[in-house]
Amino acid sequence: MALTTVDHSALKVNQAGIIVTVLVAFVGSYFYRPLLVLIPLLAVVLLLGTFAPRLALFKQIYFKVLKPRGIVKPRPVQDRPEPHNFAQGLGGVFLAISSVFLLPLPVIGLALALLVAVLAFVNLAFGYCLGCQIYFQLGKRGLIRA
Amino acid sequence: MSIQLLALAVAGIVVLAAAGLEVYRSSRARRLVAGVTSGAATEPYILYFTGENCTVCRTHQEPALAKLGPVRVDKVDAIAERELADRFQVYTLPTTVVMTAEGRALHVNYGYAPAQKLDRQLAEARNASLTMERTATA
Repeated sequence: MALTTVDHSALKVNQAGIIVTVLVAFVGSYFYRPLLVLIPLLAVVLLLGTFAPRLALFKQIYFKVLKPRGIVKPRPVQDRPEPHNFAQGLGGVFLAISSVFLLPLPVIGLALALLVAVLAFVNLAFGYCLGCQIYFQLGKRGLIRA
Repeated sequence: MSIQLLALAVAGIVVLAAAGLEVYRSSRARRLVAGVTSGAATEPYILYFTGENCTVCRTHQEPALAKLGPVRVDKVDAIAERELADRFQVYTLPTTVVMTAEGRALHVNYGYAPAQKLDRQLAEARNASLTMERTATA
């Protein structure tokens, strides 16, 4: 278990980005249905960011805009990046499933997207990362190399 | 009813079910803590997760705990008490958990925690207990 420095502010910006995007899609779709396209787009952003961190949109906004301008202060913590990446990927997978449901069963699709936003909020506000816990549990059972 | 409201209701039910499950898990963990530790506390105390092969526990953590003075330290074998270790997500030894007198985990330190840090956390736990006491008597 190699500890490295993880900037938790980047994680927080990522979580805030997820919450805002889902909320805009959720509320906005009431007035303008095509806004639901934000959910599959967010799924793509999260999945891309998981496998290629340079393509993680919200983290890049933090590193290239918010941090250099001092809008968000960095918070480096001795931590492992893998559980957070896993959690982000899991969010992406759930949003992808949600996107599949959006056309035939929009209630299920939106509910799944809302749950991803709720979990991102719980992580942002209380520091509880369900995806990280799932990562540790899978690692303990030997299902992934944690 | 609009799709948005229905989706909100579905998500709400799932969140409520998860919250209920978490409350159940917490109360179960509290019972586990009570079963493993040496009974009810009147002061904040420390749950100290350790293991037979933990060298840092012996060389660093235990001397640090000894520096704390008269504080109750409940030693827990993380391997034997797996359920309790899981509850606090103990994947690193040593792990120290600073508990309030009411049995609420206030701080969890993964890895070696120096005496100064534990002292500060215990002071916070005492303050938290005092605040709760005042709220109860008000």
